[in-house]
Amino acid sequence: MSLVTTRPGAGSARPYAFPAIRRVTAHGGTVIAAHMPGQILASALLLLDAGAARETDGREGTATVLAKSLEEGTRRRDSAAYALALESLGAELSPGVDWDTFRVGVSAPGPLLADAVRLAAEAARTPKLDPEDVARVRDDEVTALRMDWAQPGPRADAALRADLFGADGRYGRPLHGDPTSVAAVTVDDVLAFHEAWLRRPGVLLVAGDLDALDLAALAEAAFEGTSGDPLEQTGPLGVVLPARRRTILVDRPDSVQSTLRLGHRAPERATPDYVPMTLAATVLGGAFTSRLNHLIREVKGYTYGIRGSYAMTRRWGRFEVAAGVQTAVTAPAIRDTLGEIARTQAEGITEDELEVARSWRAGQLSVEMQTPGAIAGALSTLVVHGLPDDYYATLRREYLEATVEQVSKAAAEHLSVDALTLVVEGDGAAIRAELAEFGEVVDSTI
Amino acid sequence: MTSPSAPVATTGYPWPIETTQLANGLRVVVSEDRTAPVVCVNLWYDVGSRHEPPGQTGFAHLFEHLMFEGSQHVKKTEHMKLVQGNGGSLNATTNPDRTNYFETMPSEHLELALWLEADRMGGLVPALTQETLDNQREVVKNERRQRYENVPYGDAWLRLLPLLYPEGHPYHHSTIGSMEDLNGAALDTFKAFHQQYYAPNNAVLTVVGDAAAAEVFALAEKYFGAIATVPDIPAAPDGTLPGPAEQAVRETVTAKVPAPRIYLSHRTYPFGTAGYDAVTVLATVLGNGRGSRLYQRLADGARIAQPDYIGAYGVDLAHAPAPLIITATAKDGVDLETLEAGLAEVVQSLIDEPVGEDELNRAKALLTTSWWRGVSTVYGRADLLGRYTTQFGDPATAADRLPKWLAVTAEDVTEAARHVLRPESRVTLTYVPGEPS
Repeated sequence: MSLVTTRPGAGSARPYAFPAIRRVTAHGGTVIAAHMPGQILASALLLLDAGAARETDGREGTATVLAKSLEEGTRRRDSAAYALALESLGAELSPGVDWDTFRVGVSAPGPLLADAVRLAAEAARTPKLDPEDVARVRDDEVTALRMDWAQPGPRADAALRADLFGADGRYGRPLHGDPTSVAAVTVDDVLAFHEAWLRRPGVLLVAGDLDALDLAALAEAAFEGTSGDPLEQTGPLGVVLPARRRTILVDRPDSVQSTLRLGHRAPERATPDYVPMTLAATVLGGAFTSRLNHLIREVKGYTYGIRGSYAMTRRWGRFEVAAGVQTAVTAPAIRDTLGEIARTQAEGITEDELEVARSWRAGQLSVEMQTPGAIAGALSTLVVHGLPDDYYATLRREYLEATVEQVSKAAAEHLSVDALTLVVEGDGAAIRAELAEFGEVVDSTI
Repeated sequence: MTSPSAPVATTGYPWPIETTQLANGLRVVVSEDRTAPVVCVNLWYDVGSRHEPPGQTGFAHLFEHLMFEGSQHVKKTEHMKLVQGNGGSLNATTNPDRTNYFETMPSEHLELALWLEADRMGGLVPALTQETLDNQREVVKNERRQRYENVPYGDAWLRLLPLLYPEGHPYHHSTIGSMEDLNGAALDTFKAFHQQYYAPNNAVLTVVGDAAAAEVFALAEKYFGAIATVPDIPAAPDGTLPGPAEQAVRETVTAKVPAPRIYLSHRTYPFGTAGYDAVTVLATVLGNGRGSRLYQRLADGARIAQPDYIGAYGVDLAHAPAPLIITATAKDGVDLETLEAGLAEVVQSLIDEPVGEDELNRAKALLTTSWWRGVSTVYGRADLLGRYTTQFGDPATAADRLPKWLAVTAEDVTEAARHVLRPESRVTLTYVPGEPS
């Protein structure tokens, strides 16, 4: 007997289906719920139109300080009682901020979800926000940011963001602010942000076994006592590319790796090229067998991993390659990376590569969407970007039908190797001279 | 609002489990669930860094990397391409106890996944080349730099292990290994490693999701049946220890870190024992969540610890008393002595101050959610069943863990605290900001 020598073919595929979606509108807000029969846990996510973009200049981080202040007690109970009540349901609050939204999430066993949502709403709608507590949370957040910024990455991210979006106000600063801007946040900033944006109804996303959940009760828990109309949306920022490449050095003395963040601007999420752009980035730097990971990790051994991707929000997008490479090979790694980006931009991709990318992206819609938490996240994409209920079935079909011509065209139009900003966070004494190969090196002030 | 009470669960695994064993010793576990059109294929090999002899630290993990670089009928780069190119997610991990490999696929590709796993179980050695070894050695060295050397406090785990476990103990060294040993890794050693440990009788194949047991059993025979049994696989060095350490140990590290930090650690009981179940509840009472004693007393109460960086957790190792790790980072202006005294006082409170009903219910509710979250994916379930089959000989015993946690009493927690948390058995690792000497 011996091993089977020939690779088996595929069996018959079951048709793809996203969970059925139900809606309940009450108390001025809407519950959007995905039915997942048999799930023991259920997830809920209160989605408010109160992202970081609504913060005031110079006070970046206000929304994050507010998010972290929500559990410092409510009008009904102090922080210790609140923690005990929520955690005794097996739930923990996960408040968070992104560019487009303010989110408050909870997960719990299905029968306990309504109580968990009541407590989440109590914190989001009627937090105590005692001035002393808010000031302390703000100070703690400054310290937490300093801790975070001592890791490789956040400073490079901030330098890239400042260079790409510096002319666009809030978008040129880090999502959660920086230690200086958070230190400038006042108690009044936090109270005003809450008053202006968190008392509006928003949307409650729910995923779980809906046969055991009372959506009307969830709507009441989430929306009772709220007021305000949906907010008007502003248009995209547009894609502005610089005339030539720039290199920025973020010094990190004695660093044994250089952290690379190479990027340029790209269209926002609503772009009609979303699918071919995603597939182009998958071929270039998304899949394990991508051009970048193959060359930089598997052939050269310069890194533990390298990724290229587009990030897209309502108003902007950006292309980025991110990696940590051994200090001694910083310049060769950048050179090879630029080579692969240039090749993809100029020559496009092959059918063999696209076959992997389209099947992987399509398959991930099943493989990575098994849990209530993942489905609640998928629902949030529909809401934030105004997409229809059958979107994921459409997306899956579009991935599978994309052609080499479409994806190569997207690569040509949405990659721009000569317009990249190259941010390198590493040991300046060791790498500064060799970075000159890529043009004038500017020292980051971050 | 209903008043919360201790959650009730009679089983932590309400899905079917079917098992068989091939003639070559491979144990096969199947748990059918047709909810989603996906299936997870998971292999546990009963080999980890605890098997590594001196001078070969990091080899089990470096070997794990080699398993993705092609085998007898799978060309270099093809493994990843075939899994992702058919819609799947995949990974592998190595820890002191074992090495696991897993892929979640759209279920029509079940057979492909089984073929890939069988080919690298039975046919890796002919495909192993010096070039592959040299390349993956560099990748692993970069993994070490990225995860342990280039991040503040990143080497804490590497420092704790030799303080917790004596020289020669299978947990004394870390899984990532030393740069020196990695540099000395020779190709023949890896060929021998595969022939010794990557045997059907040293592995468990678990398939969870959109597949029937009978179908999986037949496919397992078809693809794995030809792989030969390896007789007399040597056991890892014995990890038995008489009990908690008898002398406190302390290490202070001056490094480029943004704030002073303390790790307290104790050896407890092996994962899977009643003692470790009590430690799991104890760690949750002590350091999991805003309602935990550490958070309430040091972050919220005395306000000497940073709220984002305080906690306690057990590391679920099964072949020797597993570590409990307790950590806190000083707030601005708070000195290490104050923080350490505060930490010690809260830890001591688990011995002196009985755990209240509310505290116990809170901990059990959090553990319940965490358990169900763990088994909410086919991957989570497959890995769980692979673990219980490998470590305890029966996948069905996985169902008992949650009920056993929920049966832990306040007295059990106090007794565990008395046994494992004594200051004279404590490892204290302290980071002080400054230039490394």
